[in-house]
Amino acid sequence: MTKRIRYPLLLCLQLVTATLVLLPFFWMFSVSLKPATEPFAIPAQLWPDNPTLENYILALRPEFQRYFLNSVIVCGATLLITIPLALLAAYSLSRFQFRLLSVFLGAVVLAQFFPAGAMIIPLYKIVRSANLLNTYLGLIIAYITVTLPVAIWMLRGFLLKVPKTLEEAAAVDGASPLRAFFDIVVPLARPGIIATSVFVLIVTWQEFLFALSFTSSKEMRTLPVGMNDYIGQYGIRYGELMASSVMISLPVIAIFFFLQRQFVAGLTAGAVKG
Amino acid sequence: MAPVTLNSITKRWGTFVAVDSISLDIADGEFLVLLGPSGCGKSTTMRMVAGLDEPTSGEVLIGGKVVNDLPPGARDLAMVFQNYGLYPHMTIAQNIGYPLKVARVPKAERERRVREAAERVELAGLLDRKPSALSGGQRQRVALARAIVRTPQLFLMDEPLSNLDAKLRVSMRAQLKHLQRELGTTTIYVTHDQVEAMTMADRVAVMRDGRLQQVGAPLEIYNRPANAFVAGFLGNPSMNLIEVDVSDGRVRHPRFSIEARDVRLSGPAILGQRPEDMSVVNSGEGDFDGEVYTAELLGDSVLVTTRLGDELIAVKADKSISVSMGEKVGFRFGRSALHFFSRETGERIGE
Repeated sequence: MTKRIRYPLLLCLQLVTATLVLLPFFWMFSVSLKPATEPFAIPAQLWPDNPTLENYILALRPEFQRYFLNSVIVCGATLLITIPLALLAAYSLSRFQFRLLSVFLGAVVLAQFFPAGAMIIPLYKIVRSANLLNTYLGLIIAYITVTLPVAIWMLRGFLLKVPKTLEEAAAVDGASPLRAFFDIVVPLARPGIIATSVFVLIVTWQEFLFALSFTSSKEMRTLPVGMNDYIGQYGIRYGELMASSVMISLPVIAIFFFLQRQFVAGLTAGAVKG
Repeated sequence: MAPVTLNSITKRWGTFVAVDSISLDIADGEFLVLLGPSGCGKSTTMRMVAGLDEPTSGEVLIGGKVVNDLPPGARDLAMVFQNYGLYPHMTIAQNIGYPLKVARVPKAERERRVREAAERVELAGLLDRKPSALSGGQRQRVALARAIVRTPQLFLMDEPLSNLDAKLRVSMRAQLKHLQRELGTTTIYVTHDQVEAMTMADRVAVMRDGRLQQVGAPLEIYNRPANAFVAGFLGNPSMNLIEVDVSDGRVRHPRFSIEARDVRLSGPAILGQRPEDMSVVNSGEGDFDGEVYTAELLGDSVLVTTRLGDELIAVKADKSISVSMGEKVGFRFGRSALHFFSRETGERIGE
């Protein structure tokens, strides 16, 4: 195929894909701006005649603020525990050879093959017998069981790329292994740490099943569970539902937007010959 | 400054013996080159001195003290790695100053010493840059500055010039040698390049298959190689090695027979002679006649090769000589520079 045909063709494909991906988001945003009477108007309107922020004002009720705080606490704590643990585990798995290394790595992958639905009952029993139901800690521990294996795998890949010579150079320069880890390895693995952190945040921020099962009181709910409030026995308040959806999505989109540059892992350039 | 002693150190990985019971005394301030083909165990030997690899058995002594159980940082040595080993996220100044920072040298003194080290290797203007903004030669000098900044007892250099282009290598070679003399620091230098070994070393230790072949001053090794391997490895083009039989003071070969009265041996042997000790003469006037296989102009001389049995024999002739491929000429051995080696063991014999 010549360039003249290929380029417009690719452009069309990209437009179709982008539309398919973005349409639900657009619809979410559009409905969030519609007054209560409009979402079911026929024919459906892409953009409201009378856009209003009233749904947002209604959605920002005290419960939402509480849910938001809960989400921040649970996700933040999960992140702050997962990353250091995963970093140390991934480092030892990338540097030390031992007999059961491949068995261990395989087990870490296998742990992810279980669907959340299959894990939830045993996890529930564990959390209950530890008296941690309806607490932040219970939810955080449940999340870590999901995030830690993935984080270990992701970080191990990045750490394997940090040249071993640099740690040897640091050892000759007098640094202890731990010092070399913090001075040399961690800074060089920064793009990987950021990528893994974003991944952990996205997974936990939108998690629904665990949050629903391990919390019982309203005060402990996280944002995804809290959205359930709008889906009542007698009707669904779409305007407010979509307005809070937009507000929930914003932090994740913002984080992703500001950090995407960091994913470009060009940091090891110039370390060794080349 | 400190002498280094290796006391029959051995390194095994499973059944593979990388370094086989090497003993070596390196004097205070000496420049010792470990020379050998790749995979001969020279880098492993150096890494055991550095503490990056642990000897399976044997002792490493630095300054008369056994250091086997000390981590690399406690051995008071600096190392220059083949691929430089610079920290890419630090500036040049931070790279050079890192050993001092780890040693908790106060900031003001650190900055002064970093500046001094950088000036020594002509890097003064580049201190704020990152390694990625530097050329290969500059990176090499940063690695060197990081090595000299804390005035260690011992320098270890692992093929430090092998990533540089040929011209830069020659000038860095001279700089390195000069720097080492000036500082007077004991240095162990690993290379597979025999020219580097010959030009820089006080003494050369030639290794092969994990064993020490010969230790001595460059000229001594060049003039009196201990075995056929060393004879062939040092010198470029390498020494001609010809299978011969010796009896009654004559060296016999199907194509020639020469007198060698002083040689005290008889039976099968390997005759060795360096290309510069042979000469090209008119057909019929030499020890044997042969067709010119190639004649290569080297600049200061012409390298003439000819077939002798299955081997190509090389002769370094004066550049004024004019021979062409296929031409029949005579070749003559220089009588005073004949070497003999055992066919079985390769050891030097006949003296």
